[in-house]
Amino acid sequence: MAEKPVWEQIGSGFVQHYYQQFDTDRVKLADLYTDASCLTWEGEGFQGKNAIMTKLSSLPFRSIQHIITAQDHQPTPDSCVMSMVMGQLKADEDQVMGFQQVFLLKNIDNKWICTNDMFRLALHNFGA
Amino acid sequence: MGDKPIWEQIGSSFVQHYYQLFDTDRTQLGAIYIDASCLTWEGQQFQGKAAIVEKLSSLPFTKIAHSITAQDHQPTPDSCILSMVVGQLKADDDQILGFQQTFLLKNYSSAWVCTNEVFRLALHNL
Repeated sequence: MAEKPVWEQIGSGFVQHYYQQFDTDRVKLADLYTDASCLTWEGEGFQGKNAIMTKLSSLPFRSIQHIITAQDHQPTPDSCVMSMVMGQLKADEDQVMGFQQVFLLKNIDNKWICTNDMFRLALHNFGA
Repeated sequence: MGDKPIWEQIGSSFVQHYYQLFDTDRTQLGAIYIDASCLTWEGQQFQGKAAIVEKLSSLPFTKIAHSITAQDHQPTPDSCILSMVVGQLKADDDQILGFQQTFLLKNYSSAWVCTNEVFRLALHNL
């Protein structure tokens, strides 16, 4: 039984940590970003750790829960890890909604940080 | 009224070109990949231009139409462009399905190629 490739271990480790932090205390996500990080949240751009954390901390819900439906990880030519996540989330008492998120992870000083993060709700879907 | 940032111009052109080619003659997509490219298609991995084109060419539909709902582009620290696309597609006479796709673009010898690509249908939705 082969082990998962290292990029898959790194990617899935990051994803698990990210959503666990997001759902319990998202101010702690700051460790995952640097001043070079970019976030695009529902089409709006945020540059650098501070701007990103201001945005994430100010999202208007008290409770949030993410469920991951699928995740894929790949190594990139520049030794980064690219991760795509598809899932569902529930904020407060709102209805469950689908979401999509992409992360690019880079190893800086022996730590995997997120240099690029893009999030969108899956809002075009018709009902099944 | 500023121009769009360069990475957004490159990303959105690539995306437009990709889906146009995909929907008209996807066997022509070979030009955008190199031997180092990886594709993950519905969780299955394909490495290199030949394997990728073979997978895309062998997808079991006669006609396909993609409609893009949203796209986002960002520059990466290694001078690549990361693009995320959310959309819907219709294959033959099947029902319309949502999809999510991510591309990482790199400039090799003055051409932007796709080194990393991930595709999934949005099938969990209630």
